[in-house]
Amino acid sequence: MTRADVSDDVEAVVEDTDLPRRLKDEVYDTVEQRGLTVDEADDVARAVESRYLDTRVDPLDPVGTVSAQSIGEPGTQMTMNTFHYAGVAEIDVTQGLPRLIELVDARKTPDTPMMTVHLDDEYATDREKAHEVVWNIEATRILALGDISTNVADMLVQIDLNDETLMERWPTVSRTEDVADEIAETIESNLGVKTRRSGTVIEFGPEEPSYRDLLQLVEELREIVFKGIEEINRVVIRKEETDDGEEFVLYTEGSAFGDVLGIEGVDASRTTCNNIHEIKSELGIEAARETLINETMHTLEEQGLDDVNIRHLMLVADIMTNRGEIESIGRHGISGNKQSVLARAAFEVTVNHLLDAAIHGEIDALDGVTENVIVGKPIKLGTGDVDLRMGAKQD
Amino acid sequence: MVDVSQHELVPDHTVVDDEEIEDVLEEYDIKKTDLPKLQRLDPAAPDEASVGDVVRVTRDSRTTDQAVVYRLVVD
Repeated sequence: MTRADVSDDVEAVVEDTDLPRRLKDEVYDTVEQRGLTVDEADDVARAVESRYLDTRVDPLDPVGTVSAQSIGEPGTQMTMNTFHYAGVAEIDVTQGLPRLIELVDARKTPDTPMMTVHLDDEYATDREKAHEVVWNIEATRILALGDISTNVADMLVQIDLNDETLMERWPTVSRTEDVADEIAETIESNLGVKTRRSGTVIEFGPEEPSYRDLLQLVEELREIVFKGIEEINRVVIRKEETDDGEEFVLYTEGSAFGDVLGIEGVDASRTTCNNIHEIKSELGIEAARETLINETMHTLEEQGLDDVNIRHLMLVADIMTNRGEIESIGRHGISGNKQSVLARAAFEVTVNHLLDAAIHGEIDALDGVTENVIVGKPIKLGTGDVDLRMGAKQD
Repeated sequence: MVDVSQHELVPDHTVVDDEEIEDVLEEYDIKKTDLPKLQRLDPAAPDEASVGDVVRVTRDSRTTDQAVVYRLVVD
């Protein structure tokens, strides 16, 4: 790569250093701004390099322990209360310590799953269009569409559909009768009953007159999802400022990441979700790692603990995604998979580990920290791992 | 079908050739199996990746502009 704003000599000098790209670019900028000579540029580059090397982690530094402490201490200051309306819209999201625990435990489903759905061009600017997407996502059940009444004398369930709601939720269909037909069909296939429709009123009843069956049908009817995605109970639409103007963004209560990505109008390149497992199965392990970092940092920031260095969270996310799948920190994940018997025994369920190890004749190589603390040897960290010997010859 | 690689959370994944693998292993002084893993059926894995290949992942990093990591494709 050649840069137009500096001479080849300066470039050769700077590229020769061990600096990362960003710092090299900053050096270039400075050299250009101050109009430095090649020798001066060399001095600057060397000085920056030596500072950079000083700030790097030393070999044998216990980075994991430092990360654990750096996340653990702010953790003590976090709130215990689970629910709060987060800054965004009126959606309930788990925050604070419970959320952090949920993330490092890699729970299959979070307590409060949610998605942030971004929209494609015209859907993002037109409220009507955005609402179309909302109705394709939010689960529509019968109670939202009309009134249900049970006629015990004739053993019938009557649904009086609301015309306005139908038109609103099925904007692409012009006649309410067509929508009513569609609804009747859904009911027939779900409940296995025959329906009759007149106008926008749908009637049906159990095959044999039975009071219990009638009530059962009503119960089941309430569960049927006529439109949208079953997992998503609520969608909040919000207008947000972007770099170039405003756009509508949807926030959902409940998540079904894979389904939503396929819906027309949804921008599949920016939409995210707070369930790392869903991200993993739709976008892969690297995206899951990224989401883990974002979510943990966001959880800390929300609590005013934004001075935790991002590198600690990156380390945690790296470890959790190291095997190509998401592993939890703890007995069932990282700590439970340690090589050393003694390290595992020291963590949780001591006796089980020792017993199993004895039965299988496991060998502990005493490489780790915990094992060496237990047997009373110096741990292999920092100066503990360096052997110094006096040379036999002088050279 | 949604194109996974278009998503902003998904960094570039490319299969690397043997020569580059050697360089990487030498630089870190590790064995191939010491690399982080990538499941073969991972949605972001390149189509041509098969078990035993090494994939180069170029992330937008928060601490440096770009970070390059390698993952070994496993079953």
